[in-house]
Amino acid sequence: MKFFDCNASFGKPMIKPIRYAETARDLLEEMDFYGIDEAVVFHSRQRDDSPVVGNKILMNEIEGIERLHGTLAILPPQTGELGSLENLVETMKAKNICAFRAFPAEHKYLMTKTALGSLYELMIERNIPLFISVNESCGGISGWYLIEKILSDAPDLTLIVTEHGSWGHDRFFRPLIEKYENLYLDISRYELDGGIRDFCDKYGAERLLFGTGFPKWNPGGPILMLAQADITRKEREMIASGNLQRILGRVKL
Amino acid sequence: MICSDLIKEFMEKGRSDSCPVIDMHQHMGPFQGIYFPNPSPEDMIRTMNRCGVKMGVFCSHAALIDPEANIEMAQVVKRYPDRFRAYWCINPNYPEGIPKEINQFSKMEGFVGFKFLSDYHKYPITSPRYKPALEYAEDHELLVLMHTWGRSPYDSPALVEKLAEKYRHVTFLMGHSGYGEWERSIQVARDYPNVYLELTAAYAVNGVIEWMVKEAGSEKILFGTDLPWFDPHYGIGCVLFSRITDEDRHNILHRNAGRLLQPFL
Repeated sequence: MKFFDCNASFGKPMIKPIRYAETARDLLEEMDFYGIDEAVVFHSRQRDDSPVVGNKILMNEIEGIERLHGTLAILPPQTGELGSLENLVETMKAKNICAFRAFPAEHKYLMTKTALGSLYELMIERNIPLFISVNESCGGISGWYLIEKILSDAPDLTLIVTEHGSWGHDRFFRPLIEKYENLYLDISRYELDGGIRDFCDKYGAERLLFGTGFPKWNPGGPILMLAQADITRKEREMIASGNLQRILGRVKL
Repeated sequence: MICSDLIKEFMEKGRSDSCPVIDMHQHMGPFQGIYFPNPSPEDMIRTMNRCGVKMGVFCSHAALIDPEANIEMAQVVKRYPDRFRAYWCINPNYPEGIPKEINQFSKMEGFVGFKFLSDYHKYPITSPRYKPALEYAEDHELLVLMHTWGRSPYDSPALVEKLAEKYRHVTFLMGHSGYGEWERSIQVARDYPNVYLELTAAYAVNGVIEWMVKEAGSEKILFGTDLPWFDPHYGIGCVLFSRITDEDRHNILHRNAGRLLQPFL
């Protein structure tokens, strides 16, 4: 089974994890250890530093590495820090960038239509997915209120929520899954016993994406959980890689 | 991919005949802040069969709240003696009933010891309210599974150390391995023969299993899942894909627990 990780990062984070991959090459070695084929990635400096600095580091690091697909950290266009939207798209095309990523708590901006409306329009027009970690945003109830706010402002946005935590989030996300068809969930911490099967029985396998949360989390957990999930082989393959490939295949740069 | 016979077997079949897992940290039944697809004893047994878990030691969610629910767990063990053992939960919010509870406990089969949930019950594990249970456990060489969390005022590894020093014949299982305060937890497990690191939730933290094995030894680590919370395959996967030997994996997944449970089987 091919594994395509929707949630991995590399770089030297401000808070040192027990284990991490400092460079893109180090990350490839880690992926080889776990048998992971490809990954959508960000660099820790995109989160811990200015996104302007971090985005450049990411693009330099992953240049020429086909197994790694980069995501650019966004900011409200009003400050002009990331340049024009047209230039942003050109950069994405040239540098193997397939998606955007938001760190609103760290980078201090509001995820509202007022702040990000033009970026939302760009993402919807070009099918560019937006990744957001519900834990890094706020976590728990506040985090899911934010997710609903984003989707109510931009219902056609492809939103990939990563790392939603293991302590029972189904009551938060299932109503949103039913209402917003472009909402996807990373399973890196969807540890609920019987959760994947129960979810697939109700909503199908299209909305779940394999992720590891590397370096913070141990990739072995989601790997064995998905490999042995009580669903069909086809559903496992969709979650492991097919869904993410489909989402990225729709991106128009 | 990493080369290991155990990994190959679990990835292909979901379980291993040579590695029958023992889950030392389970619950049972529905609970407050979470939706469970598989909360009943029968649901849990189905999951355990799928994941190659031969035995689980549990404390029901109801017993975490109401001491009177402890007795119901004996019925589950009686129904499935080859699959379950139980921990009797001591809720220090109801101290007046604890002597009577210990008397009941002493007459019942199927229990391996006590469960303390101090972060939730809001009394430190060193509170005198736990003393009757600890003294009974000391006299009868029982297991005590404690929820432990790093820097908690109720159940930090430093508090575990105080109990381990005082009650040398109690085997203390540090549930969640003092999550977050890894260095101190590992030190306590290394220094005290009667303290074990229990992996529920902790296993997800990348690199922590290797650290525990290196500093405390795989003989001091126990596997647990909080079932029906977490899919055992998730935790097993974390153990399997850690940079340790298959011998270490066997110790963690079943050998150590088998040794501790021997007097209760």
